[in-house]
Amino acid sequence: MQQVELDQIRKVFDQEIENISSSGELEQLRIKYFSRNGIITRLFDELKSVPVEEKPAYGKLLNTLRTQATEEFNKKKSLLESGESNDLSKLDLTLPGKIFNIGSKHILTQTLYEIKSIFKGLGFSIYDGPELESDYYNFEALNFPADHPARDMQDTFFVSEKFLLRTHTTPVQIRIMEKEQPPIRAIMPGRVYRNEAISSRSYCMFHQVDGIYIDTDVSFAELKGTLVSFAHQFYGEGLKYRFRPSFFPFTEPSAEMDITCYICLGKGCRVCKYSGWLEILGCGMVDPNVFKNVDYDSDKYTGYAFGMGIERIAMLKYGIDDIRIFFENDLRFLKQF
Amino acid sequence: MKISLNWIKDYIDLNGISTNEIINALTMHGLEVEDFLDEAKRYTGIVVGLVKEVAKHPDADKLTVCIVYDGQSENNVVCGAPNVKKGQNVAFASLGTIIPKTKTEIKKVKIRGVESEGMICSESELELSNDDSGIMVLADDLSAGTLISEAMGMNDVIMDIAVTPNRPDALSHIGVARDLSAIFNRDLRIPKIDLDESQNDIKKFASVVIEDKINCPRYSAKVINGLAIKESPAWLKDKLTSIGLRPINNVVDVTNFILHEMGQPLHAFDLDKITERKIIVKSTTESGKFTTLDSKERILPQGTMMICDGNNEVAIAGIVGGENSEVSEKTKNILIESAYFNPSSVRRTSKKLLLATDSSYRFERGTDPSNTIYVVQRAAQLIKSVAGGEIAKGSIDEYPSKARNKEITIRLPKLKKLLGYEVQKADVNRIFQRLGINLLKDLGESLEVVIPTFRPDIEREADLIEEVARISGYDLIPAIEKVNITIDKRKDDSRFEDHLREVATSLGLNEMVNNPLIPEKLADLTGKPIMISNPQSNDMAFLRTSLLVSALPAVSLNIKKGEKDLALFELGNVFIQHNQPINDFSDFTEKKKLIYILTGNKNTRSWYSNETEYDFYDLKGLSNSFLSKLVLDIVLDDSYNSIQNNVYDYQFTKNFKGDIFGTGGKLNAVFLKNFDIEQDVYCFEFDVERLQNAIESKSSFKEILKYPKVLRDIAFIFDNSVKYISVKDFILKESSSILKSVELFDLFESKEIGKDKKSMAFGLEYYDFGRTLTDEEVDTDFQKLINKISANFNAILRGK
Repeated sequence: MQQVELDQIRKVFDQEIENISSSGELEQLRIKYFSRNGIITRLFDELKSVPVEEKPAYGKLLNTLRTQATEEFNKKKSLLESGESNDLSKLDLTLPGKIFNIGSKHILTQTLYEIKSIFKGLGFSIYDGPELESDYYNFEALNFPADHPARDMQDTFFVSEKFLLRTHTTPVQIRIMEKEQPPIRAIMPGRVYRNEAISSRSYCMFHQVDGIYIDTDVSFAELKGTLVSFAHQFYGEGLKYRFRPSFFPFTEPSAEMDITCYICLGKGCRVCKYSGWLEILGCGMVDPNVFKNVDYDSDKYTGYAFGMGIERIAMLKYGIDDIRIFFENDLRFLKQF
Repeated sequence: MKISLNWIKDYIDLNGISTNEIINALTMHGLEVEDFLDEAKRYTGIVVGLVKEVAKHPDADKLTVCIVYDGQSENNVVCGAPNVKKGQNVAFASLGTIIPKTKTEIKKVKIRGVESEGMICSESELELSNDDSGIMVLADDLSAGTLISEAMGMNDVIMDIAVTPNRPDALSHIGVARDLSAIFNRDLRIPKIDLDESQNDIKKFASVVIEDKINCPRYSAKVINGLAIKESPAWLKDKLTSIGLRPINNVVDVTNFILHEMGQPLHAFDLDKITERKIIVKSTTESGKFTTLDSKERILPQGTMMICDGNNEVAIAGIVGGENSEVSEKTKNILIESAYFNPSSVRRTSKKLLLATDSSYRFERGTDPSNTIYVVQRAAQLIKSVAGGEIAKGSIDEYPSKARNKEITIRLPKLKKLLGYEVQKADVNRIFQRLGINLLKDLGESLEVVIPTFRPDIEREADLIEEVARISGYDLIPAIEKVNITIDKRKDDSRFEDHLREVATSLGLNEMVNNPLIPEKLADLTGKPIMISNPQSNDMAFLRTSLLVSALPAVSLNIKKGEKDLALFELGNVFIQHNQPINDFSDFTEKKKLIYILTGNKNTRSWYSNETEYDFYDLKGLSNSFLSKLVLDIVLDDSYNSIQNNVYDYQFTKNFKGDIFGTGGKLNAVFLKNFDIEQDVYCFEFDVERLQNAIESKSSFKEILKYPKVLRDIAFIFDNSVKYISVKDFILKESSSILKSVELFDLFESKEIGKDKKSMAFGLEYYDFGRTLTDEEVDTDFQKLINKISANFNAILRGK
């Protein structure tokens, strides 16, 4: 056997493999060349009869042939396999995709997440408190005297003479102040209850976020700065705002914060009752009576407090016009967000 | 509270300040104007028109064609009114005008071929009366082009002000005017008293005794004899109707006028109906009945403060008068009461009687105890002017406990510190003076001031600071841009709950927020519920004892709407009662729980898979996945209960060291009937606090395996009674430590393997964290295991 012959075999192999177009034919080729009685296998068998001095050189040639032929074979094989799976005539790519179920957080949760993340960035801690509260924490400690019309501001569900469903998350302020010493910078999200007739605008239960900051030199100016920063982060930079005097028993002075109605941009529409403004929260400087109730020295410490309703914020932000939809838990509503 | 701007202008000169400025100022300085009605604006485009010509319509008998001059041009107008005549002044609506009654716009139209460029209005169309019989004819001396609102004097602005409960002083026109006087720095004009009294001393006609001196610190009165009850004059009726009040008669109208002018409620008694002409103020010692002005009989609880005469009760103090002493057409002599009642007392009575009036509203917020005499004098003066009669000389004034003016010191540095900016002392003084707060001493850095008795809300320095801030305007307070942040002491109570929500949503669950207020029959199902003493309805009279009972109504609602395949979760609190009544936090438990609920199909019908319903094993798998994300999957163990109870057909619990962390299973069909649910529902409810406490010690990095795993599969035929878990536990126990995992991958029953038999196939994973295992050592272990399983369970090995 000479190199010429090996070259000839290689040439034929190359031609044959070139013409192959199915895996059946390829299998035929494998048997022809690589099986026990295949052409290339037999060449190795014949190596025994080659003279000793020629053996190394010839063996090397044979090995090269086998390696290269095998490589070609494998290349062809993978080409055919991929070609078969790419056979577009058998595929309908337009079939609908298979469904992966994904869960969703309630829109109120998502709104609260956003509020929490802004206040966390401003250095606030987050505290929890009970929903079934005592009259003391919900009213008395917050400077709502008994038999005072201020109590009418929050229609209350009672479970006994001295226990009730909290009407705001503000009682958590007292719970924090009882346990900790200033500086305190915290927000208190949670569920609250009001004994109000259920309608598209009000429900017997909703969610609030209260906040406080108490330290030695806290001013109304800082309250304003902090809430303006919140409003800009939540509602958008460049938005106009105003603070109006208001009344809450636990703050003095008290204020309400309005922002330009972002639906009509201040021109006046149904949502802002044609005033151009939307009220987003109540706030003020912590009342000295509240400090007295938790044994803080109101000459040493000052503080601010604020509170906002999450439903209201979510309704404004997402254009929801009926508060009841939050609590119906219609899957189609839950999945929207 | 309705306030008329024209009325306000009786007490303050607001010239040069626009309506919008006034409204905005009130809102921005503490008296929020929630709504307002600008009468003039309602009549925009409607002017006095002079009818210059009237001709018959060529094509319609009942119509005329008029030429109306509107002060600028002549307009062709087709009119249908029978009373239109040449030379009349009429109310003319030009093109583009919105007609108040119909809210429609006047457009150029052709009426039976004749063009009409406007409309002549009737009183009805202007909502001035119901008269639609013809057009409104105006006075001849008006000049064409004058705004109709001006011509008719309809230029008032009626504001609806939301007065906060701390501001009783602002519940009147004078009160609002006082704030405006401070805001715009203009003088407040308080009406002068100019009494024309008779020579007959009041003591001859009436007397007053206060028995309940605590709840009635002051009672002042005047008597007028020989008056005539009749209709009020126009000016008085107009004032009352402008703020939505119905005129009654001249005496009652004056008392109502004064209430809204001064904020002091008054009551006029028919003196001839007062037995012994004697007024006694006392609280009832027993409950009784009383008929009020509105002819309604009311039950008076014991302790109700009443105004009595020599024999009877004649009024509920501070709330409403009695029918028996009412001023009527025949009344000749009256006693006018002007008192100060204890706010708490009036509020308690008003609440008990469920009766709130304009009087009680003001008394319970606090009227001015110092002003009763002035007000009753003003009332007498006005009544005499509208009803005639003689004002008896002097006043009755029982004043057992004198109101004291509070004296408060305000420190200017504190003012600056609290507000964050400096207000000039001169401005502080000016604000105080305008608000009736008088300077006692100027101590340089601080001011000592006297608070008027009409401001019960000002009690401390902080209240004075608010007055300064409020009147200066919150706009002046800067919004500072730098804050101090404490870097230690950060806490987030919501972190764990938020993590649970992330895990739940990552598992495909949708979050619900349900109302914890539910009916008793549902709350009762899962624990001892707490009752609401004053519920809105029986459907919301109890607090939920589990998340399940408040969530299933939502499940039911979804199914009814056609959403039958549900994977839901909720995080929330449940409430269990221990003792009744609840007087302490130990009388109940409030607990945070997490629930997830599966019902309907897990896979809906589709081209690639068949419908498969959620089942118990989905619930179990979900629970395990859930716990694995909390790194609690290997810490908690399961226990099972297949005995039916009220809630579950069968259930399992997740436990840790004997404590139950959560319970769930397949809900009982009878239980589900309470919610009108007919399909299978699976749920699991966790105690959040227990999960959190168990987790706090856990969660550290686990090494990732670097060496290959050796895998072996085995399948045995077992008796049907053999439980999966016993085989799994046996395998783990009997193998050496190189066996790390046992998974059931096949389970079936068939005729071929025999009756009451089942085949279970397990995949075993052998590996070691420190080295590569050899086939030989695995095989040795594996072979031993096969023999042990065969022997222990009397199981038959199936072919590999």
